[in-house]
Amino acid sequence: MDGPMRVLVTGGSGLVGRAIERVVKEGEGREGEEWIFLSSKDANLMSAEETRSVFQKHRPTHVIHLAAMVGGLFRNMRQNLDFWRNNVFINDNVLQTAHEFGVVKVVSCLSTCIFPDKTTYPIDETMIHNGPPHESNFGYAYAKRMIDVHNRACCQQYGRRYTAVIPTNVFGPHDNFNIEDGHVLPGLIHKTYMAKKEGKALQVWGSGRPLRQFIYSLDLARLFLWVLRDYDEVEPIILSVGEEDELSIKDAVNAVVEGMEFKGDVIYDTSKADGQFKKTASNAKLRKYLPDFKFTPFKAAMKETCDWFEANYDIARK
Amino acid sequence: MDGPMRVLVTGGSGLVGRAIERVVKEGERREGEEWIFLSSKDANLVSAEETRSVFQKHRPTHVIHLAAMVGGLYRNMRQNLDFWRDNVHINDNVLYMSQEFGVVKVVSCLSTCVFPDKTTYPIDETMMHNGAPHESNYGYAYAKRMIDVHNRACFQQYGLRYTAVIPTNIFGPHDNYNIEDCHVMPGLVHKTYLAKKEGKPLEVWGSGRALRQFIYSVDLARLFVWVLREYDEVEPIIASVGEEDELTIKDAVDAVVEGFGFKGEVIYDTSKSDGQIKKTASNAKLRKYLPDFKFTPFKAAVKETCDWLAANYDIIRK
Repeated sequence: MDGPMRVLVTGGSGLVGRAIERVVKEGEGREGEEWIFLSSKDANLMSAEETRSVFQKHRPTHVIHLAAMVGGLFRNMRQNLDFWRNNVFINDNVLQTAHEFGVVKVVSCLSTCIFPDKTTYPIDETMIHNGPPHESNFGYAYAKRMIDVHNRACCQQYGRRYTAVIPTNVFGPHDNFNIEDGHVLPGLIHKTYMAKKEGKALQVWGSGRPLRQFIYSLDLARLFLWVLRDYDEVEPIILSVGEEDELSIKDAVNAVVEGMEFKGDVIYDTSKADGQFKKTASNAKLRKYLPDFKFTPFKAAMKETCDWFEANYDIARK
Repeated sequence: MDGPMRVLVTGGSGLVGRAIERVVKEGERREGEEWIFLSSKDANLVSAEETRSVFQKHRPTHVIHLAAMVGGLYRNMRQNLDFWRDNVHINDNVLYMSQEFGVVKVVSCLSTCVFPDKTTYPIDETMMHNGAPHESNYGYAYAKRMIDVHNRACFQQYGLRYTAVIPTNIFGPHDNYNIEDCHVMPGLVHKTYLAKKEGKPLEVWGSGRALRQFIYSVDLARLFVWVLREYDEVEPIIASVGEEDELTIKDAVDAVVEGFGFKGEVIYDTSKSDGQIKKTASNAKLRKYLPDFKFTPFKAAVKETCDWLAANYDIIRK
């Protein structure tokens, strides 16, 4: 491929998309490169025609594919068919149109939540298809897994090297902070904000003991760019801090409390479920490629996110 | 649902479709029922619009969905992307239009070949998603598996009881007899016909020791009709003779030789691979529902198939 990249980012207005936009602006973009960040306002990617139009308009050489229908636990449980079908359409449209328009590389976004429900730990990149996913979001999970099937089949039939990344728990500015629908960290940040504002106690669901690996969206964004430029495998790659940096939910709560300067009581409602105790993912493959990559220290990343949320409360998605 | 069924059969001109057409004609049809057998000439089911048109035209109450892009080993290995995409589109179009048009029940067709490559035997209906399928046809295999995912999600979200059947090795009239592309039984039948006609030996690939369960298309057709009318689960059901009726390839060869009255030499080319020695599927679930179902004796079924091929050689798919 001659000349600089023209990169189309689908789902560009989301948590990860905004982080990529920021790191590109702040120095990761190269001379002559063009970066286009799409949102659902620009095209409904469930439609083949609209997807084609947006590719015709921008003629990208590369694609970072983040767009998806995502939702919280309860919505997933009620609408497994919609999560399956809509995501399959989005993914097939983007991947097939990319191939037809001669896109050199597509990097899609999977998740550790799509891995087999019954599995050994730590999980690694070879294990995605080794058994059924958790019952609560199997529609979403299978649709994401099929991105990897499509990538492998596209390589086998056409030699394309489209690939995917597998983040663990992502957090940062521009997240979905809806307390019912959002994930654990944005949920904690929003609840702490409200507790502080209303002078009430912070109520945390569960015992605080489960362990998780968290990745700051800006670190993930830097890694996405490395994958786009330099990672040549079709097999996906887990992007996460190592097992040694697993934190308990209580550690996360303490970091949020510190980040928000919350002075009130913190109550752990142990009648609520903890969910899985450990979901450890191995980042050995990442470390093999990038032994020296430095993740932003968790407390600093959390402080940045809390500051952003307080400064942008009115426009935050919630 | 009031009134008699109007059943649309996709893939109606194939091996299983023709068998269903025959059993419906020969007594399975009930008063007032309408059975419509579609082929690719009637609609390209890869297209949503053409699928919609055919549903609008016929307004079925029930669907037996047999249509698929199928191929032999070599074509699958070269075109995994096409086998994945085209079959996902066909299946989504048929299942989604069925839902839109208020179809009460859809019975789709899976296959034991989509099961996990690494598994214990006998395989049963609960094991389909327990690991990756064989590398040679994973595009086709995942597309078929996703029928079951769609069915379960459709049930969870809308309460529809769409289901599927999982046959083992089917044989009978109206098969694909192309020697390079086809399955083991039609291949043997065609090769024996030619050997007899040309006065040459019959060359069989492999040692003949591999074991398989065979189901006559006419028996499978009767079971499809039973599933359509009476089987109420969303989880699919294996349609096969029992483990006790597993036969060796040599048993199959002997039956075909007898079916044609072939008097020449039979040579086993042991330099060719046997494939898997055993792929045993359990028919315990079927036997639980239909303890008295009688399968056509193997030799009689093979004789009928040989007679049909000899009488119809000019028009067979080869």
